[in-house]
Amino acid sequence: MAQMWINMGPQHPMTHGLWNLRVLIDGETIIDAEPELGYLHRSVEKIAECRYWFQNITLADRLCYGSAMTWSHAYVMAVEELMGVTVPPRAEYIRVATLEMQRIASHLMWVAAYLPDLGLLTGFLYAMREREMFLNLLEILSGNRIIYNYMCLGGVKRDLPPGFRAKTERVLKLFEQRLDEYEMLFDSSKIFRMRTEGVGVIAGDDAINWGITGPNLRGSGVAFDVRRDDPYSAYPELDWEVQTEQEGDCFARYRVRMNEMQESCNLIRQALDRMPEGAVRAEHVPLRAEGTAFRRTEDSRGEALMYIVGDGGRHPYRWKIRSPVFTTVSAAPHFLKGYKLADIPAIMGSIDMCIGETDK
Amino acid sequence: MSLYEICHWLAREVIVPLSTAPLRLVDSTLAPAGDLADWMESSSGLNVVAWGVAVNVAMMVGMVNLILMVYLERKIAARLMDRRGPMLTVASLGEIFQDLMGRMKPSNFRRNYLGIGFMQNIADGLKLFCKELIIPAKADRLLFTLGPVIIIASTFLLFVTVPLSDRFAASAVPGGLLLVMAVFAVAPVGILTSGWASNNKYTLIGGMRSAAQLMAYEIPLLLSMAGVFLLAGSYAPVDIVHQQQQGTWLFGLPVWNVIPQFIGFVVFLICIIAEIERVPFDLPEAESELVEGWTTEYGGIRFALFLAVEYIRGFIGAAVAVILFFGGWAGPLLPPEIWFLIKVYIIYIFFVVLRWTVPRIRTDQILMLGWKRLLPLALLNLALVIAMVELHPILAGVF
Repeated sequence: MAQMWINMGPQHPMTHGLWNLRVLIDGETIIDAEPELGYLHRSVEKIAECRYWFQNITLADRLCYGSAMTWSHAYVMAVEELMGVTVPPRAEYIRVATLEMQRIASHLMWVAAYLPDLGLLTGFLYAMREREMFLNLLEILSGNRIIYNYMCLGGVKRDLPPGFRAKTERVLKLFEQRLDEYEMLFDSSKIFRMRTEGVGVIAGDDAINWGITGPNLRGSGVAFDVRRDDPYSAYPELDWEVQTEQEGDCFARYRVRMNEMQESCNLIRQALDRMPEGAVRAEHVPLRAEGTAFRRTEDSRGEALMYIVGDGGRHPYRWKIRSPVFTTVSAAPHFLKGYKLADIPAIMGSIDMCIGETDK
Repeated sequence: MSLYEICHWLAREVIVPLSTAPLRLVDSTLAPAGDLADWMESSSGLNVVAWGVAVNVAMMVGMVNLILMVYLERKIAARLMDRRGPMLTVASLGEIFQDLMGRMKPSNFRRNYLGIGFMQNIADGLKLFCKELIIPAKADRLLFTLGPVIIIASTFLLFVTVPLSDRFAASAVPGGLLLVMAVFAVAPVGILTSGWASNNKYTLIGGMRSAAQLMAYEIPLLLSMAGVFLLAGSYAPVDIVHQQQQGTWLFGLPVWNVIPQFIGFVVFLICIIAEIERVPFDLPEAESELVEGWTTEYGGIRFALFLAVEYIRGFIGAAVAVILFFGGWAGPLLPPEIWFLIKVYIIYIFFVVLRWTVPRIRTDQILMLGWKRLLPLALLNLALVIAMVELHPILAGVF
C-alpha cells in the first residue's frame, strides 16, 4: 500500500481532547508523525494579566480538568514566593493531602482513558467508580468536584471538616483493595501485556533530552521527582519513595502510575496523621507584588513550572506556564516511529494527555 | 413430525389453495395465471412453497434470538461493569409521554429502575430506522449500497443453514457445516467493498484489516473442524450430532467431541471469535484507532443492520460450536430445540464475558497467533484424531 497521511483528530476517539496527530503510514507501520496543537487555546496567560492576583487561582484551576488542584497549587506557590508570604504548617499538610488525592484521581482518570484505548471499556467504568470516592472527599473539603478553587494565597480556603480523617481512611482502605483487583485484572491479562510491553519504548537518555517529565520519565528508569529533588510544601517531612520502572515502555508507565497511587495513599495517611494544629491561612496577604518568582511542582503529568513577574501592581505583569504534556507530545514523532497504527492509542494514551494545560 | 412436514402440510392445505383461488378467477385466456396455479398445485410447486415457509420460520426464530442476544449482551456487560444496563420498559413509555407533555413529576422517574429494559431494543431500532441514510459525496454510490447488501444477505442466509434439531431444519444441503463456513467467509468481501467504497482512510484500513484477519483465522478454523468431520464421516450436522451420542463415558455420559478434541475446540473457539469479529479480535472496527472502522460512514438502518449482523454471526458461531463439540441438541427431558438453545446461549455468554474482560489485540499479533500458534495446534489436533480413528480397532482389542 502506498504511504498516506492520516489525521487522528481533532475529533477522534484516540485524542482525549482537542488536538490533531497527523500520521504518515505505510500499510500499518508508522513512518512519521506530526502533532498539531492549539485547538483549545484559551489565552490563559494573557487573560491573567488583567486580573487580580487571587482571581488567577480560578484560572489556574481551569488549566487541567483532570488535575485542577495541582495547577492552582503551582500558581499559588509561585505567587507566595513573589509576595514573601509564609504558609502556616497545617495548611502545608492539608495541601499535601489534597494534592495527593488529586494525583490519585488524575491517575485513575488516566486508567479510565487508557483501557478503552486498548479496547476494554470495563476498565473505564471501574476506574471512574474509584475516582468518584476521591472526588467525594475533595467535595467534602472544597464544595466542588472538578474545579475546586480550594487553594488560596497563603494557605487553603477551609480547615478539614470533622470526621474527615475517618472518611479518608475508609476510602483509602477500599481503594487499596481495588488496586489489588486492578493488578489481578490487568497485570495478569495476557492481551493487556501483549499490547503494552515493548511498545512505545523511551530510553532514559532520550527522555531527558526530549524534556519528558513525570511518570513518563520515571517509567524510563530515571528517578526524578520534583517533590523529592526540589522539595516544596510538606513533602520533605514525609517518608515516601520515588517510583521508577526500568523498561520505558507503556507497561512500565502503567506500573509507575499504579505504584504512585499506592504511594499517594501512604502520603495522604502520613499527612493527615502528622498534621499540626493551627491556622490554615496566612494572616496577611499583600494585594500588590513586585519581582520575579519561579516555582516548579510535580503535577500528576510531570513537572509544572510557573514563572511569574510582578511590576508592583495588583495584576501579574507576565505569567508563563510550562506544561509537561506540551513537551512530551512534542517528542511524539520520535517515540511513535516504527510502531503499528494500532499502537498509537496505546502509546499516546500512556503519556496521559491533557489538552487543557497543553494549549493553555 | 419435522418442520418441513408441517410446512408442507401448511402449504398444501392453506397457502396454495388460498393463493391459487384468485388465480383461477382470472380469465382462462390469460395463460400464465392458470399455469402458475397448476404449477403450485403440482408436487414441485408444493415443495418450493413449503421450503419458502420453512425458511421464513427459521428466519423468525433467528430474529427473536437476535433480539434476546442483544438484550443479554447489554445486561451482562452492564453487570460486569458494575452498572444497571438498559431499564426502559412498557411502563416507562407512559412516563416518557408525560415528560414530553411537560406533566412529569420528578419522583416518577424512580419507577424506571424496576424495569428489565427489554424495550430498549425497540427504542434503539426505531431510532436508527428513522434516521436519514447518508451517502458521502465522494463515495462510490453503487459499491457503497452494494457492500451492506452482500454482508447482510450472506449473514441472513446463515439462519437457514444451521438446524435447531434434526426435525427443526430449514434446509438439508449436502455440504452441511461446510456451507455454513463458506457463507460465513462471504462477509469480509462485503466489508472490504464497503470500506473501499466509503472513500475514507479509516474505512479503507478497516476493510484491509478484515481481509488480513481472514487470512489468519480461516485456515486453522477449517482444520480444527476437519477433526470432527473425520470422526463423523460427514459434513451434515445431523450425522455429527449422532456420532457424538454413540460412544459413552463415565456413568453412561456421551463422549462429546470437546473431550477427545479439546485442542481442536480451543482453536475453533478462538477462530470463531475472530470470524464473528468480536473483542479481542474486532480489528476491522477498532473504535479507539479507526473511529468506527469500516462502518464509519454508514448510518441509520444500515448501521442497525450491521449491528444485527454482528449478533447473528455470534449466534451462528455459537451454534456451530455446539453442533461440533457439545453434542448439538442432545439432552434429556427437554425438547431438543430447547437444549440446543440452552447450549448456544451458554457459549454466547462466554463470548460476552470475554468481550468485556480483555482488550483488543493488534493486527500483526493476530497474524502471528493464527499462523504460529493456532495452525500447528489445529494440525496436531487433526493428527491426534487420525491416530484415534486408525488405532481404534487396536485399542478396542486391548480394552
